[in-house]
Amino acid sequence: MADSPTLSVTLLGAGQEVGRSCCVLQYRGKTIVCDTGVHPAYSGMASLPFVDELDWSTVDAILITHFHLDHAAALTYIMEKTNFRDGKGKVYMTHPTKAVHKFMMQDFVRTSSSTSDALFTPLEMNMSLSSIIPVSAHQLITPCPGVSFIPYHAGHVLGACMFLIDIAGLKILYTGDYSREEDRHLVKAEVPPVRPDVLIVESTYGVQSLEGRDEKELRFTSLVHSIIRRGGHVLLPTFALGRAQELLLILDEYWKKHPDLHNVPIYYASNLARKCMAVYQTYIHTMNSNIRSRFAKRDNPFVFKHISNLPQPRGWERKIADGPPCVVLASPGFLQTGPSRELLELWAPDSRNGLIITGYSIEGTLARDIMTEPDEIIGLKGNTIPRKISVDYLSFSAHVDYSQNSEFIELVKAQHVVLVHGEQTAMGRLKAAMTAKFKDRDEDVKIHTPRNLETLELSFRGERVAKAIGT
Amino acid sequence: MASSVFYKFKSQRDESRVTFDGTGISVFDLKKEIILANNLGKANDFDLYVYDASAQQEYKDDSQIIPRSSSVIVKRLPSSRPGKGKAAMYLSGTNGGTHTPTSDIIQRPGGSSGLWHKGAMSRRFDVKEEPSPTSKLA
Ligand SMILES: [Zn+2]
Ligand SMILES: [Zn+2]
Repeated sequence: MADSPTLSVTLLGAGQEVGRSCCVLQYRGKTIVCDTGVHPAYSGMASLPFVDELDWSTVDAILITHFHLDHAAALTYIMEKTNFRDGKGKVYMTHPTKAVHKFMMQDFVRTSSSTSDALFTPLEMNMSLSSIIPVSAHQLITPCPGVSFIPYHAGHVLGACMFLIDIAGLKILYTGDYSREEDRHLVKAEVPPVRPDVLIVESTYGVQSLEGRDEKELRFTSLVHSIIRRGGHVLLPTFALGRAQELLLILDEYWKKHPDLHNVPIYYASNLARKCMAVYQTYIHTMNSNIRSRFAKRDNPFVFKHISNLPQPRGWERKIADGPPCVVLASPGFLQTGPSRELLELWAPDSRNGLIITGYSIEGTLARDIMTEPDEIIGLKGNTIPRKISVDYLSFSAHVDYSQNSEFIELVKAQHVVLVHGEQTAMGRLKAAMTAKFKDRDEDVKIHTPRNLETLELSFRGERVAKAIGT
Repeated sequence: MASSVFYKFKSQRDESRVTFDGTGISVFDLKKEIILANNLGKANDFDLYVYDASAQQEYKDDSQIIPRSSSVIVKRLPSSRPGKGKAAMYLSGTNGGTHTPTSDIIQRPGGSSGLWHKGAMSRRFDVKEEPSPTSKLA
């Protein structure tokens, strides 16, 4: 065993599921954890990855790819409630991820502390935040002897990155969520210049193909416009941050071009988002050329002309619901509880209204269930509500689709590909499609789809490892 | 005076306690209390395992009694079949969980101790005895 070490890959979450990403890499006595997310369909301890099988004091580094809760929100729990701090482990994320993560977690702790599901206190949250080490894209970081990593842009959301990790010469690329299509504000994911031995890649969309940006935007804006024309309200459940900024950029531009809409308000119901706008403005230099050049011309794209923020006194939902046609972006994106759910329950019975789901909806949430257009939905109080509101689905979620993912997997050329962050069936189809592709070309690439806590032991062709150690 | 058993999730730094009357608590009741205390009842993706303080020996028999003042280790691990976690079974009879106990042989994740038999609960725990035919076993 000693002369042919194996890499162990253990998923504590996101193994044949979407949610609670948490991937443990162990090689030659080093332990690296990529992402520590929660499962959005659950709350409290049930939402955590399966953290009990790892001795957290042995972890050398935790790397967080982006600020989404399903990748980052279990971090405080792990840092403050396990024995992580008994060891020498360090925690890394990019500067913008850290800036937004702070606001996300303040919001997370505020909303969960009102229930019995609080996983940690605000004090513990502050303690964990203060020991996160911020890094920049393309920076080479060495958390401990024998381990180094470089973050590369992943697209997806502000600050998102993939990590190219080197453990004793073995190279692993962990993508996190990524997109290969430049959108209105972000750069697309890069292909790292080094060929890794192992690629751990998201598979959210499996073998699905998504429509191109232009047709998608056109379909979106015409849908919004037609709902307004028929006298309805438009509900866009989104998370406060991430895709919401992209939708706001699209809507603001469309409103500018359509004077007939100028008296129709677009509300963006998020305190959190208002706080984070400053972060977006700070990190304009990390965004794409479209945004940078507008900013250089003193046209700050994140100062929206047609979007109103809502103040947060309670009860605004009903006031808006009873008012004239409008567009509301409200969180949470999965319609669990909160403003988006409250508006949905108010608007559901009126067929003039329209609900547009704009992102990937996780199994077990209302955002997913309502896509089957049921005649009734169950309100939070247990009441039955007729559903007449129209339901449409358009994906702005900035994940790769099949053609982008398979192209990326081929470009990266790793010996072993580990699929994560996808539902069992989506993942199975992607595995089958990729296996066939590689077989056709007579390439020996192994594709793995481990379940949670089903450890993969990977060994490598001797020639490869010897070369790595020699360099 | 109330008795206690102390428990700690394997990855947790701090211990919590379950209190009860009497000289001991059954593994079944202990699991139920832990599931309630941590609001785990709605999740169907995991099973709870209880071990002695050294985390070496699992309390496999739910009717076994753990003496008061003991410390135990608890692990939350993926259920052997996705979506078929048994948390709700421990709550049924208390607040109307829908899960019916089954008597299947379960492969333990990690596989270190192979197979064991998870029998239906004895009557004293108020759990419905006969498993209703389950349609979606696949
Ligand atoms: Zn994400
Ligand atoms: Zn994700």
